[in-house]
Amino acid sequence: MVSMNAVLLISFLLWSVGVAGVLIRRNALVILMCVELMLNAANLNFIAFARMSGTVHGQAFALLVMGFAAAEVAVGLALVVALYRKKGNIQVDEINLLKG
Amino acid sequence: MFLLFALITIIGALAMSQQKNVIVAGLCMVLTFLGVAGLFLMLSNPVAAALQVIVYSGAIMVLVLFTIMLLNSHEEEPAIQSRPIQRWVGALLIAVFGAFAFRIVMGSKALVDINTLADANTAVRPMEAMNLAKVGEEIFRHYLLGFEIVGLLLLAAMVGAVALTKKEL
Repeated sequence: MVSMNAVLLISFLLWSVGVAGVLIRRNALVILMCVELMLNAANLNFIAFARMSGTVHGQAFALLVMGFAAAEVAVGLALVVALYRKKGNIQVDEINLLKG
Repeated sequence: MFLLFALITIIGALAMSQQKNVIVAGLCMVLTFLGVAGLFLMLSNPVAAALQVIVYSGAIMVLVLFTIMLLNSHEEEPAIQSRPIQRWVGALLIAVFGAFAFRIVMGSKALVDINTLADANTAVRPMEAMNLAKVGEEIFRHYLLGFEIVGLLLLAAMVGAVALTKKEL
């Protein structure tokens, strides 16, 4: 029997690491990976609550989140590739085309 | 066992967010995903664990690693200017907010309710709810609209990705 507190704590830590990565890193690919990390933390919570409440609802939601994550990473990687073609690198602090 | 998987997950995530080499970061991310799959198993949910390994460690990581190899830009460049004051203030704020969030979550009444509910539920219904048949039934009965929307979203994402990576845009 896994305690709910431990799972919530791990999910919180995973999400925090994801947020920190998005804010700190400058490589667009690593930022995408950190977004995946955050979605994974949400999934972990869904599965934990599904287990603890004894119903399947949380698991169905986790399944939908996985589909969403796959779509998101496909579009994100396409954007990164398009950006690389345009600028020659993918450091996000050099992307300032919209800066007036 | 639970602690082992938790450690794998957290260490993989930290290594990923600190790693300068993008390829190594991607491989650390695979480690994290496998750790999360192990956590799903610990929560007695083999369906989610299998899906996690197939979708994340399989499909998504292959996409990410292919893009890393394609782009040929493996090292992160250093910042244009270093900001030491912002760095320390940020670390301080993270510590303060993290402590508050931890206290609020761990001391909330809802968590106590959840824990008592969880003890009751796991005593009565151990794990038979978590098989594939039940999940399919649930999705096609209650979440059919969400399922269809995700299907449409995947199609739109596929078309969008192809359109974005075309040479002449």
